[in-house]
Amino acid sequence: MNRVSVFKSILWIILGLGLSAGITRMIFGLGSVTNLSDTTPWGLWKGFNVVPGIALAGGGFVLTAIIYVMRKSEYHRYAKISVLLALLGYITAATALVAELGLPWLVWHPVIYWQHHSALFEVAWCVMLYLLVLFLEFIPVPLEETGWLASVRRFLTKYKIVLVILGIMISTLHQSSLGTLFLITPEKLHPLWYSSLLPILFFISAVAIGPLMVILAVNVISYLYRRELEEAKLARLGLFSVGVLVVYGLIRLVDLIVTGKFGELVSGSWPMVVFWIELSLMVLIPIVFLSFKRLRYSRVALSVATASGVLGMGLNRANVAGIMLVNTGRPYIPTVFEVFISLGIVSAAVLVFLFCVERFKMWEGKWDDPRNRDEAPPEFDRVSDVWLGTPRLAYRSLYSLIFVFSLALGFALISGDRLRSEGIPDIEAAPARGGDTLFIDGNRDAYGVAFAHLDHSDRLGGDTACVQCHHMNIPLDKNSACYRCHGKMYTPVDMFRHDWHASPDGGNLACRECHPADLPRTAATAQACDHCHQDLIPPGATIEVVDYEAPAYTDAMHILCIDCHSREAELSAENDNLDQCAACHTMRQLTQMPPEKRTLFRDTTINHVIIPGFEEIDRNEGRSQ
Amino acid sequence: MSYAILTDITKCIGCSECVIACKKYHDLHDDRPRQWHRNDGLSARNWTSIVIRDNDHYIRKQCNHCLAPACVSACPVAALQTTPEGAVIYEASKCIGCRYCMIACPYGIPRYDWDKAVPYVQKCNMCYERISRGQQPACTEACPTEATIFGDRDELLAEAKRRLAAEPNKYIDHVYGEKEAGGTSVLYISDIDLGFLSYPLRKVKQPLPDTTSAAMHAVPPAFVGMGVVMGGLYWFCRRRDKVSRQENEKEQDHHE
Repeated sequence: MNRVSVFKSILWIILGLGLSAGITRMIFGLGSVTNLSDTTPWGLWKGFNVVPGIALAGGGFVLTAIIYVMRKSEYHRYAKISVLLALLGYITAATALVAELGLPWLVWHPVIYWQHHSALFEVAWCVMLYLLVLFLEFIPVPLEETGWLASVRRFLTKYKIVLVILGIMISTLHQSSLGTLFLITPEKLHPLWYSSLLPILFFISAVAIGPLMVILAVNVISYLYRRELEEAKLARLGLFSVGVLVVYGLIRLVDLIVTGKFGELVSGSWPMVVFWIELSLMVLIPIVFLSFKRLRYSRVALSVATASGVLGMGLNRANVAGIMLVNTGRPYIPTVFEVFISLGIVSAAVLVFLFCVERFKMWEGKWDDPRNRDEAPPEFDRVSDVWLGTPRLAYRSLYSLIFVFSLALGFALISGDRLRSEGIPDIEAAPARGGDTLFIDGNRDAYGVAFAHLDHSDRLGGDTACVQCHHMNIPLDKNSACYRCHGKMYTPVDMFRHDWHASPDGGNLACRECHPADLPRTAATAQACDHCHQDLIPPGATIEVVDYEAPAYTDAMHILCIDCHSREAELSAENDNLDQCAACHTMRQLTQMPPEKRTLFRDTTINHVIIPGFEEIDRNEGRSQ
Repeated sequence: MSYAILTDITKCIGCSECVIACKKYHDLHDDRPRQWHRNDGLSARNWTSIVIRDNDHYIRKQCNHCLAPACVSACPVAALQTTPEGAVIYEASKCIGCRYCMIACPYGIPRYDWDKAVPYVQKCNMCYERISRGQQPACTEACPTEATIFGDRDELLAEAKRRLAAEPNKYIDHVYGEKEAGGTSVLYISDIDLGFLSYPLRKVKQPLPDTTSAAMHAVPPAFVGMGVVMGGLYWFCRRRDKVSRQENEKEQDHHE
């Protein structure tokens, strides 16, 4: 295995995992694989693939401007690679965008439904148009290789400058419109990032970091394919970025100070720390490593400066597009499947990139085309039957194998609960606590109902009243508590333990004792429980149904209480409110409780939906961060 | 005629009849806790909810139906629209599911069908079919204490101010929704601060669509301007190269 094949194997693994998650997402909806929520409607795909991806694709329009408009022919060698980077960057972003749309098959709707006040409408049009322009800019490369459509290729090459300038115009709009997207969230985005200059800042930073991304890509290729690197020329290109970065840094700091946010810069809060990390990565480190002559001609310095700039820009975009938006709900941590899809899309793009680098004439001059090299050994020695060069076919089988395995692994990792979009797995219902007053709080979220147990039994007839609610007892028990059978909060439970009944350690029953010999052995034909357990339903019970399936805890409570309550509400005028939700789910009862018991409960409402492990945030909604 | 809903927090007893009426009218089925819910009771199947605060304060939450809605200006396909009646309505057939409305809304109102393979945005539409028929919304009709009432926006605003003036000790002297984010069609009067209904970082007074309109207006000039600049630069650089090439040739001629 050489460097390239190790790298490609890793990419194929990620692609397989990502594709399995992607297929699941398309079939079962967003809830099945993502942790997106009503408070974080945009997640990893926007914050990692779309917004940073487009920013990093900025190298395409900056390099073409330098090469074709300003006619700096010394960088001509990198023209094709930068256009390819831009094309793949945009395809990556568009793919992630489509994956994130709830209705991806309607992605073309902005073409017919116009709404020109929307920044996202502008983004949609820019992506479509620029993809077309980039496609036309790049298509001559494969056409040249295959020799197809020679007239089209000649036409496109001849009028390249029109495409280049059109591409620059669209990119200008597009890079800035990604900033415009977040202008509408002044009450959500952290002040260190929110600025009315966001569109301009986004554009300038894309101009600065775009070339660094191209340098980084060239560096990686030269490492993978063991080609020489023109450090001096690339460092000169880097100097252009340094100039723009200085302007960017100054505008950003001055803007913060002018708008009176200087305090935020030294506040010591964690957003401030992130801000300074971001600014160091994106601006300071590239400037330092690229402007000193002694440093900038070394490969290490070039690698550090470009990687740092690219990371910093990614962090900046991720901050604006998600991390620094106030979240008043459950903290958003992407699922492993979201990560798979994100990285899978990038992996696919990198694989296409490597394919183009290997197959097409991406470079001018002799340096670039390994097939032109005289010293290239023959791949297969016919005399000795030995592979000398790269056994391409062998690697292809390896990649296919890896891909299929990781695809299968990806599907295997997705659990059934997620596919059914259950959201959270169901939880065990907890027993009610208390004595004369029972605190019914099955999911232990402290939003429960205070149930006056003694009061109810007194009113319903003292000791004989138990059976009206305790309608079924588990064997050898009396007045079994609700949670014993209704064991799950939100889903029905199978009460009958077949394994236990059949096991020698448990019931030790033979099949025929429940299943008649001449009938198929199913639940429908089996003897009912009360065939053996005569005391299962106490005499006088209000509910006399014996079913193997017990309703969920919440359903059971509601069925039992509401039935009786609405009957009472109809019968008597003074209990008119008894059938309202607030009759049980209210704070009223709490205020009549002794204070020490009141602390057990905060309040209760039918609307409140509390997630286990989720700290109670809505009560403090007004508090930021 | 621009309608509105006025909710008087001091009159609400938290009975949730409005929530039930809404669920029944819009045929929204049961709900259960999901990981994607925000903890205020609103969800894809709860278009209105009661938020409980200390000391028996019940705040009915629903879409505020802004007069200049951020969601409408954000929607790239005009699926969200304002109506003359004041309701902000959602046209599901246009929606592409980008969820930019959820990012844009300063109150965090729109909810999403996270569990569906064909998901839509869900939010209160002020019972648009009912109000265009001349009826009032299901929620205000169901309210037993007249804590939440429906009517003409100007009249309700006057009514709110009349109540504030009549009992100045009872209320905080502020009609929530009169000016927030450019004004909303859902008004509140209350004896507690309702600032928690919107996102916290900045109190937004101006209509939110204004924040992007300057940038959006700059789009055509920026597009054309960049084209002109690049075209000019190209012409200039080409000319420069041509001249320097000619000079080189001349020099060479000279030397020869």
